[in-house]
Amino acid sequence: MTFGQPWLLLGALAGLIPLAVHLFDRRKPRPHPFAAIAFVLRSQRRTASRLKLKRILLYTLRTLILLAIPLALARPELRRPGAAVSRAVGPAATVVVVDRGLAMRWVDGQSLFERARSEARSAVATLGPEDPVTVLPCGPEVTPPTAPGLDRGEAREVLERMRPAWSTADLGRCFDIAARALEESPTPGKRIIVVSAFTAGSLRLETPLPTLRGPNDRRVRPEMVLRDVARGHKVLSNHFIAEVKAEPAPQAGARAIQVGFTVRNVSDTPAQEIQATVELGGRVVGKTFLTLTPGGTAQKTLTVRSEVGGPVTGAVTLSPDGLAEDDRRDFVVQVPRELRALVVNGEPNPVRYRDEVFFLEAALTAPSSPIRPVVKDASAGLREPLEGYDVVVLANVPAPVPEEVARLKAFVERGGGLFISMGDKVEPEAWNARMGELLPRPLRVVKAAGSEAGAGDGRQAKLGDVRWADPLFAPFSGRGREGLMGARFQRYMLVEGGAKSEGGEVLAAFDDGAPAFLTVRRGRGRVLLFTSTLDRDWSDFAIRTSYLPLMQRAAAWLAGALDERETLEGRVGQTLTMRPDPQAQVASVKSPSGAAVAIRSEPDRGLEVGPLPEPGLYRTYDATGQLLPASQFPVTLDPADSDLTRLDEGQLQAYFGEEAVRGPGGTADRRVPIWTWLVVTAAMAFFAEGLLLRKP
Amino acid sequence: MGSLDAATLAKLAGVKLRARAVMEGVLSGLHKSPHQGQSVEFSEHKEYAPGDELRHLDWKAFGKFDRYYVKRYEHETNLKATLVVDASGSMGYRSGPLSKLEVAATLAGTLAYLLVRQQDAVGVSVITRAGAADVPPRAAAGHLHTVLAALDGLQPAGGTDLHATAEHLAERVRRGQLVMVFSDLFDDRDEALTRILALRARRNDLAIFHVLDPAELEFPFDDPTLFLSLEDERKVEVNAREIRESYLEEFRAFLERTRAACAEADVDYALVRTDEPLDAVLLRFLGRRQRRAA
Repeated sequence: MTFGQPWLLLGALAGLIPLAVHLFDRRKPRPHPFAAIAFVLRSQRRTASRLKLKRILLYTLRTLILLAIPLALARPELRRPGAAVSRAVGPAATVVVVDRGLAMRWVDGQSLFERARSEARSAVATLGPEDPVTVLPCGPEVTPPTAPGLDRGEAREVLERMRPAWSTADLGRCFDIAARALEESPTPGKRIIVVSAFTAGSLRLETPLPTLRGPNDRRVRPEMVLRDVARGHKVLSNHFIAEVKAEPAPQAGARAIQVGFTVRNVSDTPAQEIQATVELGGRVVGKTFLTLTPGGTAQKTLTVRSEVGGPVTGAVTLSPDGLAEDDRRDFVVQVPRELRALVVNGEPNPVRYRDEVFFLEAALTAPSSPIRPVVKDASAGLREPLEGYDVVVLANVPAPVPEEVARLKAFVERGGGLFISMGDKVEPEAWNARMGELLPRPLRVVKAAGSEAGAGDGRQAKLGDVRWADPLFAPFSGRGREGLMGARFQRYMLVEGGAKSEGGEVLAAFDDGAPAFLTVRRGRGRVLLFTSTLDRDWSDFAIRTSYLPLMQRAAAWLAGALDERETLEGRVGQTLTMRPDPQAQVASVKSPSGAAVAIRSEPDRGLEVGPLPEPGLYRTYDATGQLLPASQFPVTLDPADSDLTRLDEGQLQAYFGEEAVRGPGGTADRRVPIWTWLVVTAAMAFFAEGLLLRKP
Repeated sequence: MGSLDAATLAKLAGVKLRARAVMEGVLSGLHKSPHQGQSVEFSEHKEYAPGDELRHLDWKAFGKFDRYYVKRYEHETNLKATLVVDASGSMGYRSGPLSKLEVAATLAGTLAYLLVRQQDAVGVSVITRAGAADVPPRAAAGHLHTVLAALDGLQPAGGTDLHATAEHLAERVRRGQLVMVFSDLFDDRDEALTRILALRARRNDLAIFHVLDPAELEFPFDDPTLFLSLEDERKVEVNAREIRESYLEEFRAFLERTRAACAEADVDYALVRTDEPLDAVLLRFLGRRQRRAA
């Protein structure tokens, strides 16, 4: 005999209560002088033997009631050596549903998956020779099985091919599919053998058990046989990473990354001193320890530094437990890389604040800036080799000579960024003649919009129409935006066409419609034209609070570091739509194990990838097989699947019914619940006690 | 004056007061009764003469002799009555305001009043552990005081010995006397009551007032109780609820036996509950006797 709740057997001590009451609760009788004592004596003599028997019966019944109730609550079951079920009920078509969900990867010496495979083999082997059988591997996706047949080899082959999945299985759906397969068999008996760990996530108890078309078209329920491969484990203890968030942390220094992660412990015991490590590019850069209460959650944030900029891959890893697959999470983070900028100063001045690039240099060398400027005068700067630079700034520079223009053009077409600002040294005709191929639009004349003192020939200009959605201006909001819009411009260079004209994109225009910031793509690089000066000669923009961030952002934008890419993260089993850089031609995607993942181009330049077969870092390659680091993305498990809470025996019996035969691992013993008989016994004893009490 | 309940009667001190109060109730009841009569005895017939009361005409004699005769009565009779009061320990039991002995004494006192009032001789015999205390019957008016004094202040003690009582009465009571016994008749010996009833065979007019407490009749106990005897050292511990049915069965059988024995011996039997109005008891008793005399 076994007990579902053995600790409730302690309640059987209540059976001693009647004895204790009999021994210790002997109430002192009330003395009463009485005249008719002779009649009392005669009555007592007459009833003594009957009363004694009644007392013994009452004592027995009460003890029985108090023993039967705790025994019933302890859910006793008789274990009877089981013949194969098929032999017990005659030939029956059988579908062996084997759970291959994520929970089956849980390891306790042997993985539950291997145990399930072994159980399924045993189940097939114990079937009678006339029982048709088929095997249904049950995962997140289910393929309908073949109709039950007498070929055991086919069933064994399916079991051998079966692999564990990365998501929770849907047992309810598998039961439905198994029922459909059973309907195809002419054998009158129908049976579903379920081999599973019976986690709460795998079985929705609110969905009804399947029925199938039986004889005379009546709906009948197949016999359900449960084989619990996690028998003996009240819970499948598991801690896992529920979430990882990695983002640049410029406040902590160049290439600093803040990695925050959430860890959960789904267990009835605390998880002590779990080691969590953060890797960047395969190298451990941070380590910490966590202690979690049963069912508890902990959050940690580590700040680490990357050695390189650009897209960086990393992972958070926990010390492994029964389910190691959810103890690691990959991530990809865009680390602002260090940019080298060549600033060509067209109008140097010994007085620092009168220097053309004084304000620009101060902005680009601010502590949190990833930009390292090199300032040269016009003659030196234009002859400087440009290979080592990401951005070139021509600040109020006279028109370069053709060789210099050619080098600048080659630099931009290779992917470099060119920032051109105006000033007194800029002659529109010469610039148009030599730099026309790089300029977004031809320059016209300088327009004077007023003086700084306000006594000039008119009102000073302000920025009017700004494309705030553009990455260059996107961070400006609230007071930052007010600062930008508050800048006053006394002079600026007019270009051909207005804000809506062809030729380049106008990112911002003055309030009179004249372009202020224009950009154009030349080859793989960009050119940004600012139609006023970078110092205070033509405007007060240089002393506005918006100047510093805009200059830093303009440099990064020109170098391609601001190109917005979606932070991609996929879930196992899902399909992901990625929108890679148009310049990056993704030709193939490979899973962490190296398997090619299906990709399909979408009409809107998107790329549909998936279904994603496994968790980890997915790599993208161009047509030449070159890795495209910026397009890599991580794929994670669903945290809900990591909750391996098991359905208890009571829930299973309530769902499948007491008729479901429950076999412990490896055997086919039949367990007969006897608690109902105990309850009936207690009720009858209670009734009999009432009758005895009523009868004098 | 209406009937007096036991609680009211208990407030009256002494048998004299209680007996008088009950007697007034009885007299009031008699007035209302259509059976008016006196305890005078028929003496002789005389031929009717004008002036005689017509209600004394003997119609049976007229039918027999075809002549008018008038019944004549003796106003001075020689009726002698002995009131026998059981003062054993069991008579001291009470579950209400009055013990059985107090009720018996009150009934006896009341009857003494009534008898003396019609100039009959009345005596009393109190049966106690020490023996019988007798007051011989006399018709003198001052004798009532003696009778009531004998009934007053009785203390219950000792066992019930109806056998000895019967022997004592056989010795002391003359034939033809009226004997009224007030007792609970709790005597374990079966022949004891028979001995009492044997007085009837000696041509004595016998009346039994069976005085019982309601608790003895109904046994209203529930809890485990230690019952103690009022007459000796007997005691028994029982769960009263468990033996109740059996007790009531035994007691009913005892009452039936007693009633049957009295009926067989042609003895007046009156069951008296100590919680019922005593004037009603006596009216019932007197009415029954009158019907018997008619």
